[in-house]
Amino acid sequence: MNIDLRKLREMHPELPGDVAVIMLVRATLASQRNGHSSGVELSLQIERVSSKGSLSWKLADLTTIAQHDSNRITEDGAEAVALVVMHKHHEWRVVRRMQREEFADWLLERKGGARNETAALEVSGVDRGSITSRLTEKLSQVAKSTDVDQRWAGVVGFELPIAAIESRKRGRRVKRRSKRARH
Amino acid sequence: MSNEGLNALVTSAIWRAQQLESLGIGSASQAWSEVSSVEEELAKSHPTSQGQGRIARRGAVRAALKAGDYARAQQLYDSYTSEKGATKALKDALKEILTQDAKEMENRFRFASKQLRVGEAREIARYFHNAGAFGLAA
Repeated sequence: MNIDLRKLREMHPELPGDVAVIMLVRATLASQRNGHSSGVELSLQIERVSSKGSLSWKLADLTTIAQHDSNRITEDGAEAVALVVMHKHHEWRVVRRMQREEFADWLLERKGGARNETAALEVSGVDRGSITSRLTEKLSQVAKSTDVDQRWAGVVGFELPIAAIESRKRGRRVKRRSKRARH
Repeated sequence: MSNEGLNALVTSAIWRAQQLESLGIGSASQAWSEVSSVEEELAKSHPTSQGQGRIARRGAVRAALKAGDYARAQQLYDSYTSEKGATKALKDALKEILTQDAKEMENRFRFASKQLRVGEAREIARYFHNAGAFGLAA
């Protein structure tokens, strides 16, 4: 799966241009400050199934990095990557941003049968180190989100590029199955 | 305005408010006030039976509190909880937003809240707000 950040707007037409531009610049800066170039190998974990892909972007000027808050580079950059992955995975599209207290960052939508399905997506970024514990934490958080059909968490690591997305339903099923396996 | 337009506006407004808040910039409260207004517009175009309608109603009340505008939050609360079709879950969620905010306020102003509970102080403020300038003389 090739994750081309340049397609973010095309994939999510309801994402406002100003927000998309900042997210893209920050995703690029987060990758470049870790020494990566466009086309870098990206590990993907979609619903706990691992695969390899690539991450590409339009080159950013690293000298402008001081204009951005360091944490926001990681967080907003991660959101750009996660939104592209979510679109590639069953064509989820942004409806709107949500307030933190809704336990998710984004409300997404996709065409279902009789009516459109909705999903809450909570995203986090990790500049250095493992993403494993963060994904568990974010899944627990998004599980509290109400008034949506599905609940998803996504974590993006920039040191060794990795993007993991998982739905809460899937997480529960896996947990139950592994519990059974232990007995 | 179309729902798509309002969704784009609320996304930009929340984004901006969160960016300002994370940097500790004081004008974040003005940005939350904007968020509350757009959420209110979204609430008008989505009935309470729709998920997006409930998200917008909670958002409008919560953002008004983040903007420090308790009177507006209370007004929106009264209006949304008296709507036909407002579920118990939505009413509880809206009530919880106000309760949580009052608790946070009491924690911030511990000494003052020993003299007068936040709820009581807000009730008095609301009375004078509704009574207008002549209420003070009454």
